[in-house]
Amino acid sequence: MRDLYFAGLAVLFLATLTGVALHYFLRARRSAGTTLEGLLKQLIWIDRDKIEAIAMDAVAESGEPRPDDNAFSLDSSAIWSLLGGLEGLEALEKNCRVLVDLAAYLQRWHPEALVVAEQLRLNAREIEWHVGRLKGAAQTGNLQSSFGDYAQRAVVTYYFMTRRLLELYDRSGFAGIAELQSAL
Amino acid sequence: MQLTGLDRFLWATGFCCNPLLLLVLFRRDRARSFPIFTTFIAFIFVKTVVLYFIYRFLPGDDYISASRFFLIADEILQFLVLFEIALHVFRPTGVWARDVWKTFAGTACVSVVVALPMAWLAVPSTATPARAIYVRGVFLCAVLMSELFVGMLALSATEGLPWKTHVARIAQGLGAYSIVCVVTDSISNYLGNEPHVFAVLASLRTTASLVCEGYWIAMLWQEAPAPRELPESMLTQIYALQRQVADDLTRIRDWRRS
Repeated sequence: MRDLYFAGLAVLFLATLTGVALHYFLRARRSAGTTLEGLLKQLIWIDRDKIEAIAMDAVAESGEPRPDDNAFSLDSSAIWSLLGGLEGLEALEKNCRVLVDLAAYLQRWHPEALVVAEQLRLNAREIEWHVGRLKGAAQTGNLQSSFGDYAQRAVVTYYFMTRRLLELYDRSGFAGIAELQSAL
Repeated sequence: MQLTGLDRFLWATGFCCNPLLLLVLFRRDRARSFPIFTTFIAFIFVKTVVLYFIYRFLPGDDYISASRFFLIADEILQFLVLFEIALHVFRPTGVWARDVWKTFAGTACVSVVVALPMAWLAVPSTATPARAIYVRGVFLCAVLMSELFVGMLALSATEGLPWKTHVARIAQGLGAYSIVCVVTDSISNYLGNEPHVFAVLASLRTTASLVCEGYWIAMLWQEAPAPRELPESMLTQIYALQRQVADDLTRIRDWRRS
């Protein structure tokens, strides 16, 4: 009997292991073959004005927290509405995934930009983390209590990161800047 | 213990492959980047030579003891090679990526938790309890290696950390070999110590390791694709961007919703 349990477990283990390995191997291969243009095409259009409105409610242009009394005037429902609800959150999450891939692209092909690529990757992962928390809270019905903690912070991080990225591309004279600007 | 023609052929092939791979590692200057992997290959070479002389000139019991000793050292070195690969992948800037270390340690813990019951369930048909522990230990290592390899693959894809060409090739070879070892060890544990089955599985395992070495020789001989150069001005801008983003993030992390 124990032999049978062992055989069953071994087959299950090997099937799972091979399946997972194949999935991630193919994903890594796809990612390695992607071009910069191909990556940017994956970005989903987000209304930048609304993102800016949420970000500027919390921080000043310089990135410092706003000292005035009007700071944090947006309540959770206003932020939720400006973000476009769960769909907006998912778009934000998908764009972050593209930014993670963009960082991987930089690390792979431009080792001299390793430090900035790593910083970009960490930022994108941080936003992904905040968005993931929000999605989890939405699924368990605790969105209201978690929203204030994560949503605005995620949007502010996203806003500044993409703004810096756009500035970089703008200065470098990258041909796809208009597309990038409209997506981010 | 009698060696068949196939055994002799595999042994001779291994005897040729190991120094060839070492030559590639030193000639192409890969040994500097992968010192543990190079040590591992050198160890396999020494093992092949020493075991051959023990087989030819010493009693059978000595050969069995020596091969067990070498197998244990082999497993330890394989784990160290995997760790060396992890150092290359998860420390892109020379220090562990901030978000990776805990997940990596968690992956290792989960791997142990999954591997232990599998090794416990295995019922090796051996003459002594000590031999059974040894067989289970070898199986445990094979399961752990394959899990860690797949775990690292998944972790790097999720975290967006790319594998550089040669690191990826070494890992792929080692990962594929460890999965073959799990298959052969599982069959061996299930079917028992039938001499014919044991011989077939041992040949299969050796063949897998030789294919792996052949793959490494071919892949490590080739140069990695050349990095694409960035203009100096772009590089300066990128560093400026990094400083700005780091400042932004520090401020954002510090602010509190009043």
